[in-house]
Amino acid sequence: MRRRTLFLLLFVVALGLLVAAAVSILHDGLSARAKPSALEAAIVRSAKKMATPAVAYSATNPIADSSEVQREARLHFADHCATCHGNDGGGDTMIGGGMYPKPPDLRAAETQKLSDGEIFWIIENGVRLTGMPAFGGSADAHGGADASWKLVRFIRHLPSLTPEERLEMEKYNPKGPDDRKEEQEENDFLNGAPAKPDAAPKHHIQ
Amino acid sequence: MKLRWLALLIAIMFALPVFAHGDKKHVIGTIEKISAELVTVKTADGKLVEVKLAPATVYVTKDGKPAKLTDVAAGQRVVIHATPKGAALIADELKFAPASAATAKSAH
Repeated sequence: MRRRTLFLLLFVVALGLLVAAAVSILHDGLSARAKPSALEAAIVRSAKKMATPAVAYSATNPIADSSEVQREARLHFADHCATCHGNDGGGDTMIGGGMYPKPPDLRAAETQKLSDGEIFWIIENGVRLTGMPAFGGSADAHGGADASWKLVRFIRHLPSLTPEERLEMEKYNPKGPDDRKEEQEENDFLNGAPAKPDAAPKHHIQ
Repeated sequence: MKLRWLALLIAIMFALPVFAHGDKKHVIGTIEKISAELVTVKTADGKLVEVKLAPATVYVTKDGKPAKLTDVAAGQRVVIHATPKGAALIADELKFAPASAATAKSAH
């Protein structure tokens, strides 16, 4: 009798946990606009930690820090990473905001307390079921392992990124033809050309 | 395989013009007045638009040279990239034409 009661109790607890996990994960009809619940975030964080090979934790950065390395990585980040992570690493971008899960704030303790090796491993291998791709297989476009280690150096610098560095990065963010045209019109205005309110894009107030 | 690369290329071509901005607003006009916290811009249609200045606001001349708040003055042409926060606009970047260039142009 006691054994049956114990089994029943365990079954109810397991069922309850399963329902809680399902509600936590399947909220908002799997919309990517939702934010992962605290439970889901905790489960994924633990799973990510367990899935990262032990050797990754202890890997040390072979690239020495210098202003040249920082600049190279900063411009690389602006071109390849800022679309989702933002130039300041905060993740407050249109693409990043539409992802599930959202890109983490790279300046926050959650990222900064990862070891250099872990950050390198994530850049090289990506994170499955998120928007983070693996850059390790695209040496030509990405620059190989050295480029990833340099990015690790830059990610460490993100919490103290200066406004001037952010400004420089904006010049290296990917731009489409509309952006280039708009930039030209803004520069023309600053150089004395008349404003064109009728032809302005919706986000312009002029 | 070729088809996959083509699809990726098309996706990137369509995505680039969209994701560069997010929800940022561009305020374009002439500075009506400016303080340490707020800049008022007069737009081409005569509307006055207020943009808050923050410690993180970057000031830059029209030639892309870093500048300071004290370099910016009323009467200068300005392009402000701002992020809406509630009803307010917070300036991320304030690009301006230094007074001499702007007034020289408008004098002609």
